[in-house]
Amino acid sequence: MYQYDDIDQQLVEERVAQYRDQTRRYLNKELSEEAFLPLRLQNGLYVQRHAPMLRIAIPYGMLSSVQLRTLADISQRYDRAYGHFSTRQNLQLNWPKLETVPDILAELAQVQMHAVQTSGNCIRNTTTDQYAGVIKDEIVDPRPYCELIRQWSTFHPEFAFLPRKFKIAVNATESADRAATQVHDIGLHIKKNEAGDIGFKVIVGGGLGRTPMVGVTITEFLPREDLLTYLDAILRVYNQQGRRDNKYKARIKILVKALGIDEFRQRVEAEWAHLRGKESTVPMSEFDRLSRFFTEPEYQVLEDQPNILTTKLAESAGFARWYQRNTFEHKKSGYRIVTLTLKKPGQAPGDATAEQMIKAADLADQYSFGELRVSHEQNLVLADVRQDELINVWEAAKEHGFATPTLGLLTDMICCPGGDFCNLANAKSIPIADQIQDTFNDLDYLYDLGDIDLNISGCMNACGHHHVGNIGILGVDKKGEEFYQISIGGASGHDASIGKILGPSFGQEQISDIIQKLMNVYVEHRTEEEKFIDTYRRIGITPFKEAAYAKAH
Amino acid sequence: MPKLIKNGEIVDNTYVWLKDSEQDVVANAIVPAKKWLDEQDQIGEVAGIWLDAGDGVESLQGIDLSQFAVIGIYFPVFVDGRGFSYARLLKERLNYQGEIRALGHFIPDQLGYLLRVGFNSFQFNEDVDLEKALALHKPFSVAYQGDTAEPKPMFLRR
Repeated sequence: MYQYDDIDQQLVEERVAQYRDQTRRYLNKELSEEAFLPLRLQNGLYVQRHAPMLRIAIPYGMLSSVQLRTLADISQRYDRAYGHFSTRQNLQLNWPKLETVPDILAELAQVQMHAVQTSGNCIRNTTTDQYAGVIKDEIVDPRPYCELIRQWSTFHPEFAFLPRKFKIAVNATESADRAATQVHDIGLHIKKNEAGDIGFKVIVGGGLGRTPMVGVTITEFLPREDLLTYLDAILRVYNQQGRRDNKYKARIKILVKALGIDEFRQRVEAEWAHLRGKESTVPMSEFDRLSRFFTEPEYQVLEDQPNILTTKLAESAGFARWYQRNTFEHKKSGYRIVTLTLKKPGQAPGDATAEQMIKAADLADQYSFGELRVSHEQNLVLADVRQDELINVWEAAKEHGFATPTLGLLTDMICCPGGDFCNLANAKSIPIADQIQDTFNDLDYLYDLGDIDLNISGCMNACGHHHVGNIGILGVDKKGEEFYQISIGGASGHDASIGKILGPSFGQEQISDIIQKLMNVYVEHRTEEEKFIDTYRRIGITPFKEAAYAKAH
Repeated sequence: MPKLIKNGEIVDNTYVWLKDSEQDVVANAIVPAKKWLDEQDQIGEVAGIWLDAGDGVESLQGIDLSQFAVIGIYFPVFVDGRGFSYARLLKERLNYQGEIRALGHFIPDQLGYLLRVGFNSFQFNEDVDLEKALALHKPFSVAYQGDTAEPKPMFLRR
């Protein structure tokens, strides 16, 4: 993974000093509440319901075991010994003290981490596929490009006070889009053209929140050397022309929609004409430099399906189930990608205790070259596990609560912290996740239902990505009472779509019952090969709606 | 005389900022760009013009900007970042070489970014301790991106 040189290190250390001084001046009342707000947000610090929340960047999801142990340690000493992995490859601490944040940042800087631009109206942490670099059908490893974007966006002097937040995600495979790139302000799809040159299909104007939209293609193939000048052009048009009069209409998606993609493209291209080929054009030497940080680890030459694996799979139904759901094909024979799920019943989705973090770091050291990844689905990933060691990893993962073999199933929910923690939330989301986990606890039934994305957000800001869940649950407030609106048919992959609202919202206690009714409709109508989303797309919303609102006899 | 920060020093403000287009134009005035564009024949020589947020720089294309000693850019609120692009475009696109002055509601903590996009003078609206503001002038000694002072990004200098 990327290693800081003196320049990178100097920058994060100067950032710590700057933020320490800002905090000091705020506490001395030299800096007003109003002035401090965007400054602390640009450093990931929200003030939440009970305490501040600090969002730490895990750039494009890459984490070393040393870094994860530091996060565990920080959570023990400055917080309540746990953290929440978010959908955009960040770690959130829910209980740090505002006064101690500069010290936390200083400790993070020691392991090449930071909280730069994890919030605020600026360019946020760039995200990508958690399987980057280890899957078979990848066009090229997206991580050097993500690092290029990270550096370009870090303290970009022109784009620190945008109309609204700005999120970029990168995908590099044809077969899947695990980073939900089409619902980002900019989605980049790495491509190779007929000449074999690497470039990007650029998608712009996607996003969730109050006005969910799937992005549209602005260019089919942007040569990679032009990436930064093109991004500068898009951001410059947005910075000047995006709406600033209404925060709910300030995202780039609203500008793109209002102008239409053709007019928006024309404005970007007009700006780009001035920038193309200039200093920010990325030279080959920089791609080479960045790629050198993402070379393959020392893989052994191994056979697929070694005896010990096939024997154990035959012996243990539990292991076989975990293998089937929670591990994924690796590009190298004899290896497998393992997901350590953070979806244990009774624990909020994406939450990990300090103990779990330490254990995951140990597992990474022991079985996966000391590296981990964080996924959009709020799980941890060991990318390079030998197949003959999977049984050991499973045993250890089980012991520490991250072997729930439900990856991709109904109970592998995405969920925001909700009203239990967040100031913005209209309703709690974690109790809904608990309820669903309690109700749908029969693994055989879950396996029979197959792949279903269920996403829960506590408010319209959609941190839980409810719009793009096959089933989406949104907390709403009705005269001070918490209700939940259910939508179906959303998707976040290459087939991205925004879900449709089923109808009037439901009370908290009804949710599992309604989900059960939706599942019954699916089971009744599905053909053998159909996933939930396929059946929905074939039969439409009506049968689901009828079942959900049918009067009990 | 009121003070401001210019080229890294605290100096007297020798210009008169005409915030309101109804005010009388004097020779050392910084007049609204819109007013100057409409009435340039009557206005005569001035110190410079200023852009409001939303004005953009397109209307200044084709105008000899070297006649202005100063071009101001107004921040209606400090989180309105349009002025950052305007300054950069003035310098890099319209090749303006004179003083670029931040006016209005920006804050000292933005000075680092403002300097990098081409501003070199800062006339604060609020009562700001200029000595303390100067100390925030340059929070970072390195930068990844090119800017108006150093057009080459870090990857060309590493």
